[in-house]
Amino acid sequence: MYTILRIAIGCIFIFSGLGKVLGPYQNFLYVIQAYQVLPSWAEVLTSQVFPWIELLVGVFVTLGLWTPWALRGALILFGVFVLVVGQALLRGLPLESCGCFGELIHLKPQTVIMMDSLCLLLTFVLLRDLPSTKKLGLDLYFDKL
Amino acid sequence: MNKRLLTLVIVLILGGLVVGAKFFLSPKKVEINLQEARAKGNPDARVKIVEFIDFQCPACAYGIKYLKTVFDLHPNDIYLQVRYFPLTNMHHHAMVSALYSECAARQGKFWALDDLMIPQQSQWEQLISPEPVFQAMAAQVGMDIPQLNACLASDDARKVINDEKSLGQTLGISSTPTYFINKKMVVGTKSLQDELKTYFPN
Repeated sequence: MYTILRIAIGCIFIFSGLGKVLGPYQNFLYVIQAYQVLPSWAEVLTSQVFPWIELLVGVFVTLGLWTPWALRGALILFGVFVLVVGQALLRGLPLESCGCFGELIHLKPQTVIMMDSLCLLLTFVLLRDLPSTKKLGLDLYFDKL
Repeated sequence: MNKRLLTLVIVLILGGLVVGAKFFLSPKKVEINLQEARAKGNPDARVKIVEFIDFQCPACAYGIKYLKTVFDLHPNDIYLQVRYFPLTNMHHHAMVSALYSECAARQGKFWALDDLMIPQQSQWEQLISPEPVFQAMAAQVGMDIPQLNACLASDDARKVINDEKSLGQTLGISSTPTYFINKKMVVGTKSLQDELKTYFPN
């Protein structure tokens, strides 16, 4: 169960990161601008770097390599998503879609904040029981050496 | 194999795969083919803009208003061409508004209809069917209504719109408004303003 959950969370990040990395960075920049939380220079930087972080965290969580660190990364990312989408909803910003999965899927911000909160909770559960979470992961192979 | 070495190998393979995929999937460069009916400004202007628009998109309406102010200040320095990119999965009236615009373009009334349609977007987007409003606008700008209705009923206008959307997708467009300013891709009105400030600082 823990393994399936770990792989599912990793795949969410791979799917999300890949959709953004493969398209022009300007599309994700537009999404970031809609949340109105960063200065212009940081928006451009984030639009180019953030999808790679999502992708790397996703790959490491899925493979179960450096699992505790990768899960902490996932926890931070989900936390950031909840905060950013939450502040946009509180401020009543006119978001038509969260932009979380690039052009692949359009989700309403209200839906995505619930999904992210659930994923945040599940990642926390995974971190609480690392021996179960590491099953079928590469860490287990290296731990045995 | 050492754990750190495996990590490095995974990162390198991942980077290689993504860079390779980006290379093969990289968007084409947009070419400005003269579409006189949907273009305005000086064709020899130093700033050529191709805009992919969804007429029901609020940011597109803001972008059009902003471009009008820039046009007023620098009438000879900008050439603007509009291409269709209706986001039909998000906006129920995206296709019908594009159809009316295309049919208006065929009667040389694209900008006249656009000047009515865009400012009233927040009203007609809430209607179940905006067609009576569009028909009234078409009459107001002096369009030939039987000719308009024949155009709306034909598949030709819809094909032009779908072809332009397909072109936009091959260029990597996923949102509107997307602009190509002297072939540089710019998405959204904030980036539009930032980019145009590099050409017109004052």
